[in-house]
Amino acid sequence: MTQVLLIILAPIIGGLLYGFERKLRARMQNRVGPPLLQPFYDTLKLMDKQAFLINPYHSILGIMHFFTLWVVVAFVILEENLLYIVFLHLLSAIFLILAGFSVRSIFSHIGANRELLSIIAYEPILILVAVGFFMSVGSFEIATIRENSSQLLSMFLLFLSFLLIIPVKLKKSPFDAVEAHQEIVGGVEIEFSGIFYEFLYMAKWLEYIFIFLLLSLFAGDNIALAISLFISVFLVLNLVDNATARIKMAHLIKIVLTLGLSLGLLNLIGLSYV
Amino acid sequence: MFDLKKYRKKSPWILHYNAGSCNGCDIEILAAMSPKYDLERFGVINTGNPKQSDVFLVTGPVTLRSRERLVELYTQMPEPKVVVAVGSCTCTGGVFRDMYNVEDGIDRYIPVDVYIPGCAASPELIIDGLVQALDILESKTKEMEYPYKLAKDVKVEDGVINRRDVARGVEDKDEED
Repeated sequence: MTQVLLIILAPIIGGLLYGFERKLRARMQNRVGPPLLQPFYDTLKLMDKQAFLINPYHSILGIMHFFTLWVVVAFVILEENLLYIVFLHLLSAIFLILAGFSVRSIFSHIGANRELLSIIAYEPILILVAVGFFMSVGSFEIATIRENSSQLLSMFLLFLSFLLIIPVKLKKSPFDAVEAHQEIVGGVEIEFSGIFYEFLYMAKWLEYIFIFLLLSLFAGDNIALAISLFISVFLVLNLVDNATARIKMAHLIKIVLTLGLSLGLLNLIGLSYV
Repeated sequence: MFDLKKYRKKSPWILHYNAGSCNGCDIEILAAMSPKYDLERFGVINTGNPKQSDVFLVTGPVTLRSRERLVELYTQMPEPKVVVAVGSCTCTGGVFRDMYNVEDGIDRYIPVDVYIPGCAASPELIIDGLVQALDILESKTKEMEYPYKLAKDVKVEDGVINRRDVARGVEDKDEED
């Protein structure tokens, strides 16, 4: 029952998290910032706005992106197979890329292209994290991972490489070349308007929930550690976002793949000898 | 069912377009978004994407080359929307009035809701104008959202679409209607 409630409320919790983050970022810059419920005001406004339909597939793929992500979050909450979740999450990203390529806007194409490149960067690390959990607890099932004690120390290098891909996934500086707010005007988002954009906007919140749920797996059965991990990573993420500038896509891939992948592989080699 | 109209006021997303301005007003708009004046506390986001924005902030007297883009950006914005003219040049043409290369203000091409005077308009005035624009945005009804034609038909020359000179001025409309 709690799980069902959590799954239904997942977008709302994500929205609150996003609102809190905007407030926190504003406070870090010594501003007042928008109200906490600002993301919900945005969605309610978008419901009332006129929507332009570019082509039916474009809009439907955007909606499918949102619902697949919701299913991914639901599977994490229902403690399903981690490897399966990682690949289902890839499917949701692919829907977005197809939507980006289905219109003629050149910015949409660049955005979709960059989305593909970012998948090349973060997907191997997500798989390595899943394999790391398999090697240390003996199962891909999240239920088993949650029953065991914290794997943070034995998977510390994998944890570091996971930290490296969080800004890529949540589109934060310095790794926000995928979205690139004023440079390519949001990339794949550019042709979405009105209620169709709303689904993309809410998908962003679900991405937050997904990433932080994966982060909590590192804490195992220790809830206090999970909460402290969440708070510290959230603060560091926003601090880095405020303090750094955007880097190029090629540099993003280079940094994430060389540093993240080598750290992850090193950790796996270490795990195989324990 | 609650009224969705009141949420328009709470999340105005801005599209900022420079129609040949000297950059004075653009700098003031950026200043209004900076921590000192903090426009984001009203929920403002500078989207840069016409398809997701509600408020069209225009600076500069319309130059001959920028009027097609101006009209095109305006027509790409979904209803309901408001247009705010920032600075003297945008309202009347300012010091550039009656020059051969400018069009003396944006209201010759698109309907304007709020005029903000000043050369350059101060951030306080911009915020004040924006808040007034939000009241107008909230009171827009379905009848006001009815679109009317701002652009002429696109000409095709030698198989290539010529977008030049598609902007339809106020005078042109009087002649044809």
